[in-house]
Formats: sequence, structure tokens, C-alpha cells
Amino acid sequence: MITIKNLSKRFTTEEVETTALNNINFDIKQGEFVAIMGPSGCGKSTLLNTLGMLDSPSEGHYLFNSEDVAGYSESQLASIRKKNIGFIFQSFNLIDELNVEENVELALLYHNISKSERRQRVAEVLEKVGISHRAKHMPSQLSGGQQQRVAVARAVVGKQRLILADEPTGNLDSEHGREVMEMLQQLNKEGTTIIMVTHSPEHAEYADRVINLFDGEVVVQDLRAVS
Amino acid sequence: MLLANYFQTGWRNLLKNKLFSLINIVGLAIGLAACALILMFVKHETSYDNFWQNADKIHRSHVTFSIPGRDPMHATSAPGPLIHALKKDFPEVEYATRIGGWGPTINHNGQVFVEQIKLVDADFAKMFSVDVLAGDLELALSDNSSIVLNESLAKKYFGDSNPLGQVLSLDFNFFKKDFQVGAVIADTPRNSQLDLPALILIDESAWEEQNWMFHGWFSVNAQLYFQTQQASDLDSINRQFDDFANRNFPKMPIGGDDAKASDFIKLSAMNIQDLHLNAIGFGEMRPQGSKTTVITFSAIAMLILLIACINFMNLSTAHAANRAKEVSLRKVLGATRSNLITQFLGESVLMTLISVLLAFVMVELALPFYNETLNQELVVSYDPSTIATLLGLAISVGVLSGLYPAFILSGFRPATVLKANKSAETGASLRLRAALVIFQFAVSIGLFIATSVVYSQMQYAKQMDAGFNKDNMLVVNRVSREEASNKRELLLKEIAKNPQVTAITYSNETPGNTNENNTMMRTPEMAEEDALLMGQRAVGYGFFKAYEINLIAGRTYDKNRADVSPTDEQLRAGEKFPGSIVINESALRRFGFKDAQSALGKTLITGRGDPEENLSVDLTIIGVVDDVHFNSLHATIRPEVYPLSADFGNSISVRFTGSPEQLVKDVETLWRQEIPGVPFSYSFVEDNIAELYQSEQGEATMFAAFSALAILVASLGLFGLASFTADRRTKEIGVRKVMGAGVFDIVKMLMWQFSKPVMVASLIAWPVAFYFMSDWLEAFVYRIDTSLIIAMCGLAALFALCIAWVTVASNSIRVARANPIKALRYE
Ligand SMILES: Nc1ncnc2c1ncn2[C@@H]1O[C@H](COP(=O)(O)OP(=O)(O)OP(=O)(O)O)[C@@H](O)[C@H]1O
Ligand SMILES: [Mg+2]
Repeated sequence: MITIKNLSKRFTTEEVETTALNNINFDIKQGEFVAIMGPSGCGKSTLLNTLGMLDSPSEGHYLFNSEDVAGYSESQLASIRKKNIGFIFQSFNLIDELNVEENVELALLYHNISKSERRQRVAEVLEKVGISHRAKHMPSQLSGGQQQRVAVARAVVGKQRLILADEPTGNLDSEHGREVMEMLQQLNKEGTTIIMVTHSPEHAEYADRVINLFDGEVVVQDLRAVS
Repeated sequence: MLLANYFQTGWRNLLKNKLFSLINIVGLAIGLAACALILMFVKHETSYDNFWQNADKIHRSHVTFSIPGRDPMHATSAPGPLIHALKKDFPEVEYATRIGGWGPTINHNGQVFVEQIKLVDADFAKMFSVDVLAGDLELALSDNSSIVLNESLAKKYFGDSNPLGQVLSLDFNFFKKDFQVGAVIADTPRNSQLDLPALILIDESAWEEQNWMFHGWFSVNAQLYFQTQQASDLDSINRQFDDFANRNFPKMPIGGDDAKASDFIKLSAMNIQDLHLNAIGFGEMRPQGSKTTVITFSAIAMLILLIACINFMNLSTAHAANRAKEVSLRKVLGATRSNLITQFLGESVLMTLISVLLAFVMVELALPFYNETLNQELVVSYDPSTIATLLGLAISVGVLSGLYPAFILSGFRPATVLKANKSAETGASLRLRAALVIFQFAVSIGLFIATSVVYSQMQYAKQMDAGFNKDNMLVVNRVSREEASNKRELLLKEIAKNPQVTAITYSNETPGNTNENNTMMRTPEMAEEDALLMGQRAVGYGFFKAYEINLIAGRTYDKNRADVSPTDEQLRAGEKFPGSIVINESALRRFGFKDAQSALGKTLITGRGDPEENLSVDLTIIGVVDDVHFNSLHATIRPEVYPLSADFGNSISVRFTGSPEQLVKDVETLWRQEIPGVPFSYSFVEDNIAELYQSEQGEATMFAAFSALAILVASLGLFGLASFTADRRTKEIGVRKVMGAGVFDIVKMLMWQFSKPVMVASLIAWPVAFYFMSDWLEAFVYRIDTSLIIAMCGLAALFALCIAWVTVASNSIRVARANPIKALRYE
């Protein structure tokens, strides 16, 4: 599904040039559950953003479903992203002014889907993540775990085949963390490809495979190499 | 010391938030400047004639003639004999004086001038506290051969030499007389309805021949001022005026035997301080003000200031969202709520102080244009009281508009803000801000509608077919002065020879001069007391052709036919041949003729000379012309007759082609050569007409300018608000983009958010604007259709939407295009 070849990402600010990703190569197959680990600042989020097409690589190739998207324009990327990728963030990034239902619906809003179908799909997915009794609540009225479940619901409601999660359990206690991990595992079993950044070796174990980053480079690409 | 500290922090904050400070300061400065300009105008307009020492006891009497079938005729002057009756019948009237005007020629050192001389009674000196610069005013007004000059005239005639005792020779056309300068007075201040360039005592015996001037009860030629013992005497005199009129006026020639004078004549008196804004009627010495304008301008001033204050509040509270963290941290570090309130108030007062300074600069820069447009001579007075008032105003504006944000800001709960990491603004504060924005837009839309209605009406007036051609028409005045009158035929012949001249005529009235001249007329079938009052404009041969007035039926006056009616002498001698008359369409209807054709050849009868003489003359209708607007569109077209004035006329009208300057030069050369004793005076019909609308035009321009300012200030505020909103919603926009929203989706969303208040505001503004503007239009007899206001309403809403979109678009696009990961990264 995803092939990365010699991919680099550099940030140039006024004074310094930071190489966040340096000549990275790997493949991710359809249906895989991959964890990305590494020390803070090693480029995990940058990698995830690039995979999520929120950012373009400075160099190299990014084959998404055998299509090289490395040189695509922002709007081209946006349309591929819309169809294929869902996101989960460490800080949930729910919109404070919208209630749970509306937050989830947001992921369908820009997809030309009728209002009634949107309602139905939102209801289904809220049921699935076990939060339907809170559908009319505002995010500020939910616990962190509940908020992240809403975020998961939002990521999957569009039925995208790839979910990118940047430290989805980073802001949660261990029990809520486990809940979310189980939910991701369930989604993976149903066929969704998942790429997740995490600092927790325990949570990394839910994945089929771990990619270890260090200073922008892939050091180990195997779960067994860690454990 | 603490205060200095607050100002210092305030100053740093100003610099830190440049856009915010700039919008706030500039917006408020514009508001204050506009407000100051308007208040200067209002102060001037309301200060008229309040400087006279006895201002509260000096009143002027007015007359309204109400003749059935005609609009009532209001005069600010009074019949000449009224003064004697007034003094006789009302013991509470201490003094009274007439102030009439005449423009005699003055021959001085070989040069001729025409000056406006005021004819007054001796009491004038006791009533009006004019500044006497030299001589003795009371003495000068006690004999009939002294003249009082104002400073300007004294300078003009006698330069630096002592004017007292010098002699000026005045030619009143009816009589010539030498006057000795007995006193010099200061020029009449601008804020007076009186204009007193020169004064002489009324000598009624000198005007015996022109008995209408001071002896006619139905001719109003001089204003009448009187001073009462108590200010309150005015009311009781006003109440007794009907009886007074019935006692003193002679019997009117209309209404039958039972008719009383008070059925047709209403006397009233008004305090001198109220004249400028409230008096109704013709005959003022100086242009009047308009109460409506004063009220409208004051309202606009308040609205602009209010809009600026709202900006201040809205921006500060919106800005508060961004300062929530700062406030919370300060609180955690030990600042009390009152500390914070003082700090924020300090900031807003500092901003208003800077605004005041900027406003002063703006006022000084704008004043020349302002004065020119409004035809005023306003100046900023920097006396301590003005400055104190302004500072007081600024500080109260600062405190008032800073108070609310200060309370909002200082009320933040640190725990909520720091934990939830969000604006912590309450729903109430957001709703208030939305309401204030709606208010601003409602005002802006209302002003836009008002301005465009006023402008459309002006345009309409300008472009309306007046029924005659006002372009390329030169009017030569003073033709009725004896010396000129003798040469009229020669002038007409010589001017007509000029190759630029295509038509020429003479007449008593020309378009744009608003003299009221009326006559009673009837058909032979009508009883004498049923005679109708007709407007009358005496015209010479060729008048209708020269003015290009459309003839509906018949013909106009012809030198080769017997159109001239008998003179008074001929009538007295018993001659009774008919003359000719041309009437307008309204007169045709008024007399009840079926149509223009059938009116031709019919007879109209009108009185001549003194009413007691009972002379009358028969006039045969020879032509009917279109209704023509000689006056401004405020006036209805009246039924009018145009009698032939074969050998008399005040002015010569010259239709020409080519350069007006060249023509004026040629005519002036001719005039000087033929009539050296009368100074040449001319005008263009186009200008005379424009003058009727001049003050209206100036006020409309200022109204538009102030409305534009109000809208500008409101837009500035909206811009700031949009920028804050866009910033506040960065995270949300980032999320939406990650969810697949395109730039366009985001921009659309923000646009819609700001379109909603505009629409609500429109719904509020429309009915209000419609009500006021249809009312305003009522004052014009000829006016644009009220349905046009509805069109303006739509236009205004569209315009407001455009403003909202333009101000919002730039901010939205900026935020919408930003890479979402930035917004999310820095959460
Ligand atoms: N927009 C940017 N501009 C400049 N430098 C950036 C930018 N984004 C990331 N970097 C730099 O790139 C490097 C990688 O950052 P990244 O956010 O990918 O790290 P990370 O592995 O996700 O760290 P963490 O575990 O703390 O989230 C860092 O050195 C960071 O400073
Ligand atoms: Mg990261």
C-alpha cells in the first residue's frame, strides 16, 4: 500500500536547517498494524505528517497505492487524503464549539454525503466506539479517554482504509490507553491499515511490526528486534 | 507612581498588538473627529442671536396669509403700519423697530456702488446691543439725515480717515438724499439672522409715493422686532394676536361681509434666538439653518461615537481571548482583580488619549473642506474649557469602553483557562459581541440608505425638467433703476446685436429668485369676493421664447398686436380696453377651464391700484403655457399668470452661445458706457437655481461624508474582529482541513459566519430607514418614488455584505491557506 524510497524532509528556518527525516526506506502492506517508535525529536510526527500528506517530502519517493505522490500539489494531496486517510491526534483535536455527534460528522461533511446518510453513519460509529449515550455532549464535558474515542470514531467514520495515529494514548492513563488500543486492534482486524506513533513499548506490542527511528533514520524495522 | 506603571504596561501592550491598537486608535480618532466637527457645527447653529443683551425679550412678528385654494404664504416681514398698532395695543411692548432693506446707489469719489441699507426705527438703538466703535448710535438714529456704517463699509468708503461727519449721497431711485455718518458699528457676527451693513432712520414721509413700503397693510416689506418687558410676555401676545389683527387690519377684499381678518391673516411672534432654526417664510436677511439638519447631524455624531466605542469594546473583548493566558498567569502570580481592572482601564484610557490627539489633527485637516462644503467659518477654539471638555469626553469614552473588557478579562478563572487551554470566553460575552456587531451594521445600513435616498433626491432635483432651459442664460440686474430704465430699449437692441446672443427678453422675475408676487383674479362669471389668488410674474416681449417655455395653446405677447393693458391713469380716466394675458396650466385648471383651447379668448378680471379705488381691468387669455418650476422643488407649482410688462422690468435675460466670460465682458462694457450711474450686476440662471439648493447640497455632501465615516469605522472594527476570529479558530480550521475541507470551504464558512449579522442588521435597519426617509421625502413636493427607498434597502444590504466579505475574506484566506499541521502542532 505504501512504499517509501530515499525519503528526506528538511526544515529550513532563518538560522538552521533541520533534517527531520534522512533517506528513509520502507514498505507497508495493506492491512498491516505498524508502530513507529523513537526518542523525542527524532522525526516521528514529521514522518506521520508526510505519510498523511499533510506535508510534502523534500526529496525521495512516496508511492501510495503505486502512485508517486511526492510531487503532488496541495489540492491533489488533499483529495487523495480525503478518500483514504483518517487521523487520530495525541491532543484529540476535537472542536470545542461542536458536540460529539457534530465533531464526528465533520469527517463526512466535505465528502458530498447526504445529511441522512451522515447521521446514520455517525450513529453507527458512535455505537461502535461505545459513546452513543454521549452523542449530544460537548467535548469539554467528556473525560480524556472518551474524547479520544470520539476522535477514533471521527477517524473511522469516513471508512478510510488507512488510519494514522500520532501518540493516540499519550494523554491517557493506562486503562483508557488500553481501551483505545483495543479499539485500534479491532479496526485492524476488520481490515484497516494502521500506522501509529507511540512511546509506549506496551502499546507497541499491539502492532504487527515496529519501525524504530533515530535522528531521522530507520534503525530497526522489526518487532522482535525490540522485545 | 502606580499610574505611571500602568501607563508603561499599557504602552508596551499597544506596541505588542499593533493591528489591534491601530484599529482601535484610528477608529476612535475618526469617531471623535467627526463628532467634534459636527458639534462645532451644531454649537454654531444653535448660538444664533443669543449674544444680544436682551435676547430673551426681543421677538419678531411673522405673518401668514391663508388664501383659500392656495398654499399658505409665510412672511418673516410684517406690514408697515403694524408697528404702530403693536405699540398702541400692547403696553408690555417696550420698544419696537422695523428693519427694512433697500439697495440705493452711492456715488462716492467718482465711483458708483450699490449697498444694502437697513431702514430702522429709533428704538433700534435701545433694543440691540450692537458694538458701537465710533460715534453715538442713539443720536445717529434720532435724526433722518444720519447714517450708521459697519466697520467694513466705513473702511471701504473712508479708508483710515475718520468716517464720522463724512457725507454719503444715497440715490433711492425715488429720491436722493445726503447722509452724514453718525456712528460706526461692528460687523454683525456670523451667528445672527440680522445683517446690518448700514442703518438709517425710517422717515415715512420720504416714502409717501411708495406707500406700499411702510403704509400698506397687505404688503410686507420690513421685518418687525419688538422688545417686551418680560420674556414671558411673548406667549400672551401670541394668544391675543387674532383679536389684535381683527381690530387693526382693514377689511380684506375677499371672503364676503362676515369675513374677519384673522380668517386669512395669522400673526405670530417668535423669540429672536429661535429665528435661525425655526422661523418659516420668505424675507430673511441671511440664510436660515435647518433644525432637521442640526438634529440629524447630532444623531450621526452620537452614532459615529457609539460605533467607535463599540469597536473598542468588541476588539478588546475579542483580544481578551488571546490574552486569557496572560491574565491567568498574572492572577496565579498574585494580581488581584482590581489590579487587573485598573491595568486594562489604564490601557484603554491611554488609547483614547492618543485618539484625542489624532482627532485634533484630523479636525484641523478637515476643517477647511468642511467649512467650504457647509459654507461656514468654524474654527477650533483651544480655550481651557474646550480642552477640558474634550479630555473629559475622552476619558469617559476610555473608561466606558474599557470597563466591560476589563471586567471580562479580569474575570477569567485561571484554572479553566490554563487547563482547557482555550479562550474561556463565556457565551454571554460572545452573544453581546454579536449583538453589538449587528447594531453597528444596522446603523451603517441605515445611514447608507439615508445617504442614497438624499443623493437620489438631489440628483432628481438637478435633472428634473423644470419646464424651461436654465443653461446659457445670463441675467443682467438693476434694469429698473431710473438711469437704466431709460436705456432699456437701447440695451436690448445693442445686446441683441452681439453675435453670441440668440434670444433676449426682460422681466420682473427670473427663475431662482423667490419673490412672492400675487394678484386676485376672476372670470366674469365669478362674484367679486370669489376672486382667486394667482401667482404673478410680469414678463416682457419674447420671454417665453427666450426661456424656451412650451406653449400649449394660443400665442405669446407680440409687439405688433394690442397686448398692452391700460395703465392705472388710463383706467382712472375711464378708458376700458382689454389687455392680454398668458396663464399656466395650473391656473387653467384653477379657473376651471375645460382645456387650453377653450380658455383662449376668455376674459379674466383683476383689480388695479389701491383697493379703495376699485379700479379693474379686463384681460383676454391669449396663451396657455406649461407649468414651470421657477423655485426649488420644495415649492408646489402654483397657478400663475404672466402679465405683459411692456415698459418695465427688473432684469434682462440673455440666451447665448459660446464663452460666458466674453459675453459678460461685452455686456459690461456696453453697460458702463451707457449707464455709468449704476454699477453693473449680473448672474447666470443656472447659478441662481443652484443657489436654491446650495445649503441642501452642502448638507447632503456632509451627510454622505459622515455616513461614509461611520461605515468606515464600523468596517475597521469588523476587520479587527474578523482577524481575531480567524486567529481564534485556527485550530478548528486546521482540524477541518485535515478532515478534508478545502480553502474554499473554510472561506465560505467564515464568510457565512459574518454574513448572518449583516442580514439580521438589514432586517432591523430597513423599516427604520424606510420610515425616516419617506418622511424626509415628504418635504419635497416633487420627489423620487418611495419605492426607490426599497431598492436602496436592497442595495444597502448588498453593500454591507460586500464590506463584510471584503474585510473577512482577506483574513479567512490567510488562515484557510495555512498548513493545518502548524495549527495543530502548536496546540
Ligand atoms: N515546522 C518545523 N519547522 C522547523 N523544524 C521542525 C518543524 N517541525 C519539526 N521540526 C523539527 O524536526 C525534528 C523532528 O520533529 P518531530 O515533531 O517529527 O519529532 P517527534 O519525533 O514527533 O518528537 P516527539 O516525540 O517529541 O513528538 C525536530 O528537531 C523538530 O524541531
Ligand atoms: Mg511528535
